[in-house]
Amino acid sequence: MTRPGPPSENLPTVKLVVVGDGGVGKSAITIQFFQKLFVTDYDPTIEDSYIQHTEVDGQWCILDVLDTAGQEEFSAMREQYMRKGDGFLLVYSVTDKQSFENIRHFHTQILRVKDRESYPMLVSANKVDLVHARAVSEEAGRELARALAAPYIETSAKEPPLNVDAAFHELVRIIRNHPQQEEKQRRRRKFFGRCALL
Amino acid sequence: MLVRGCAGSEFRHSLAERTKALAAKCHALRSPAHQRDQRSAERRRTKNRKSQTRWYVKQPTWRLWGEERVDGAIYTVYLKKVRYHRPTRSASSESDDEISHLEWETVRVRFVKAGTVERLVEALATDDGELESTYVNVFLATYRSFAECSRVLDLLLRRYEALAMEDVHPAAIDTSQQHRKTLVACLHVWLDTYPEDFRQLPHHPALQQLLAFTQLHLPGSELHSKVLQKLAVFSAERNGGAAGGVCLAPGMRVAAHHTCAYRLPHVPHRHFAEQLTRMDMELFKKLVPHQCLGAVWSRRDKDRSHDAATVLATVNQFNAVSFRVISTVLVEPNLRPVDRSDILAAWLDIARELRVLKNFSSLKAIISGLQSNPVYRLRKTWALLSKEKAELFEELARIFSEDNNRWAQRELLMREGTAKFADTVGENDKQLQKLLHERGSPGVSNGTIPYLGTFLTDLTMIDTAIPDTVADGLINFDKRRKEFEVLAQIKLLQGAANAYHLPTDPMFDRWFDSVIVLDDREAYQLSCQIEPPTNPPKERRPKKLNDNNNHGHRKNDSIASTSSSNSSQFYCETDGVGNAWKRDSLERRISPTRLSHGSSSSSIPSLDVSLSSANSGQKPANGKIASTSPAHPNARSGPDFYIIRVTYESDCVETEGVVLYKSIMLSNNERTPQVIRNAMLKLNLDGDPDGYTLAQVLPDKEMVLPANANVYYAVNTAYNLNFILRLRKSQQEEAIVNGKTKNKRT
Repeated sequence: MTRPGPPSENLPTVKLVVVGDGGVGKSAITIQFFQKLFVTDYDPTIEDSYIQHTEVDGQWCILDVLDTAGQEEFSAMREQYMRKGDGFLLVYSVTDKQSFENIRHFHTQILRVKDRESYPMLVSANKVDLVHARAVSEEAGRELARALAAPYIETSAKEPPLNVDAAFHELVRIIRNHPQQEEKQRRRRKFFGRCALL
Repeated sequence: MLVRGCAGSEFRHSLAERTKALAAKCHALRSPAHQRDQRSAERRRTKNRKSQTRWYVKQPTWRLWGEERVDGAIYTVYLKKVRYHRPTRSASSESDDEISHLEWETVRVRFVKAGTVERLVEALATDDGELESTYVNVFLATYRSFAECSRVLDLLLRRYEALAMEDVHPAAIDTSQQHRKTLVACLHVWLDTYPEDFRQLPHHPALQQLLAFTQLHLPGSELHSKVLQKLAVFSAERNGGAAGGVCLAPGMRVAAHHTCAYRLPHVPHRHFAEQLTRMDMELFKKLVPHQCLGAVWSRRDKDRSHDAATVLATVNQFNAVSFRVISTVLVEPNLRPVDRSDILAAWLDIARELRVLKNFSSLKAIISGLQSNPVYRLRKTWALLSKEKAELFEELARIFSEDNNRWAQRELLMREGTAKFADTVGENDKQLQKLLHERGSPGVSNGTIPYLGTFLTDLTMIDTAIPDTVADGLINFDKRRKEFEVLAQIKLLQGAANAYHLPTDPMFDRWFDSVIVLDDREAYQLSCQIEPPTNPPKERRPKKLNDNNNHGHRKNDSIASTSSSNSSQFYCETDGVGNAWKRDSLERRISPTRLSHGSSSSSIPSLDVSLSSANSGQKPANGKIASTSPAHPNARSGPDFYIIRVTYESDCVETEGVVLYKSIMLSNNERTPQVIRNAMLKLNLDGDPDGYTLAQVLPDKEMVLPANANVYYAVNTAYNLNFILRLRKSQQEEAIVNGKTKNKRT
């Protein structure tokens, strides 16, 4: 790593939320994105387990990824955490048709929570390494993404990973290019000051 | 291991804590330079501050020596420098003499890093045959992810037999005996801690195998009698299980309805919090920690509902509580805003009591319910909350902030998890400070019920991040240690939950079961009926929506207000705009049959049993009267259904002067026979719908609905939507009231 490190202060924090059915490999994507940075044992309980300084298109930011893998069945708390996201990675597994169909549901729910007609989202077709078990074609995936007005990306968290970093970075771009974001960021920063916890 | 042979739960407790501390230390050691790990270790040390006072080993210093490979196993080896303190050093004895008795020692400690099942079983004892107590606990808590119960038992018993048969050198005879003793001790711990492993219906093969073993090798031993006793318990359960269910006679059930019923917002908050805690506690104590393991819970197959049944039960209860919050806030669309905000306030008061009770599960469930979109978006209702209540909500919500990997929540659990009562507030938590100040230190101590979801995510992440096997296919036991850190916390909290002593109130349970449960869509529609959305409906937007989403923000209220369409606007009833996707099964368009109870859809679980005196009825609760226009002011902007309340007129009810109402949904194209069918279903009436009539109760008369009317348009919305279902005269004798209530929770 010869690049200069991230500037230490005043970086914008971007909150990314990973959503999707249980078993689609959300956690694997998240882990793949974070784990390579840490040579030592992974510990999911540490404060900054899911925080990463990242440079996207020459701009540094702090990525704060929320992945509630394992809590899918707590359906009532979903909207609570959706409210906090700046952008959403909608993950389905190409081996699981149901998870593909549920993407629309997540999409609607997010728009509803945000009370917007569009919001930064990226559709991720995961587990594309499982070629023989594939049940959802790329075509179908792209069509869905088009209908949701969201970009589409194919991912695999299995070694060697495919597009995992790209997915998170692309989502940051989508957020940056999305209108209304400015206003929101300002709101958040204002809020941040008094957000001391217990 | 330094502490040996304490007994019972004390033994396991200290083990669990020590495992964590131990792991933390190893952690810090492996990468001392790594900031992240140091912080981790630091936080863990805080976590264990209390428990450490019990140890008499202070500040051991660890040094990684290296890895050791043998056939079928890899060990991590540490050198540990230990300073011994006297365990019972009283405060008064400060003489130099005492202190000069310190002893130092360097110990070589091996941890199994990975191994074959055989090796992992062997490692239950140290080389000299001592019980590796921490290891035993980790092993028993996690072995299911790499081996079957029968396989492990087999290996244990075979190892014992091999040792027994071995022709040992006289010098080593003690060690051999010690090894066997340790194996028996393991079996004891296993039977005591995980009796479920041995249930294996119908014939309990593992237990039978163990019985045969003890009869042969250890007749009359403690283990032998324990096995016999377990067998007796299992078979008694099997025979007696069926008769165990309590069956209330129909008469009793009816009688119960006649006692007063709870109705929000006027409910005793503390009592509600206690009852919710009682329900959670029962489930939490039954929770089998290893069912939370990523390999079990994150699996998405059919067996999961069995293998993770106790986890599912907890999740279902959480959702059930949230749904009750959502539904009690929304279910009467015509409440005055101030009355609805009273319901919010009531839930907040209950939530506050849950905080005192340290029940973080139902507390989060209530907060989640209040933050769910259909409730959270009711700005006018929220605006009516008092400042104190609004602050309280923020403070409680802050506990469950997802920020910094749910730091607030973790920290709180760490501090109060096994403490006797709640005592932690942030400096900004004015309301909670006040609360804890008022309560002082309560006479009774409470247990803790955690929100399980955080553990489930942590375990899922561990399962994803750490491979099951290492090189050569050896089982990665370090992964199991990591998992055990989480399981141990759960176990500790389960132990702490015993501190609750809460009474059971059957009336509360009945209230809980009686609350109507709305699905996502219904809740949102009701919410929109209460406060119409400000954004324009999608269906009226230009065709280019998809290519043109940059304009998404544009307000277009005029469209909304002139639209003659009904609430289905949100659900994108596009007029052939080419958004075919929106019509798929998930976005299930609002088709009236879906909303009606008569349809076969199982997504509409509602059942509302509310009691009110026949005379006082539903008061002005249904504020339709207030409207200037008696027609459908809400129908234009709100959903295309009403919730109506139907009672069945029977002699017995009349004599009691109490009316049993059930709520059903009425959608905009349901005709009389369909509505009657739905009502019968709710009221558990059998027979032919044609045999009944339906009438709306108006202040001075009843309006009997014509046989084939569209009820939605026929009802008089200027008044309460209360209805009476009656038998036509000729059929009255044959009516059977089946008092059984059908309902669906969650």
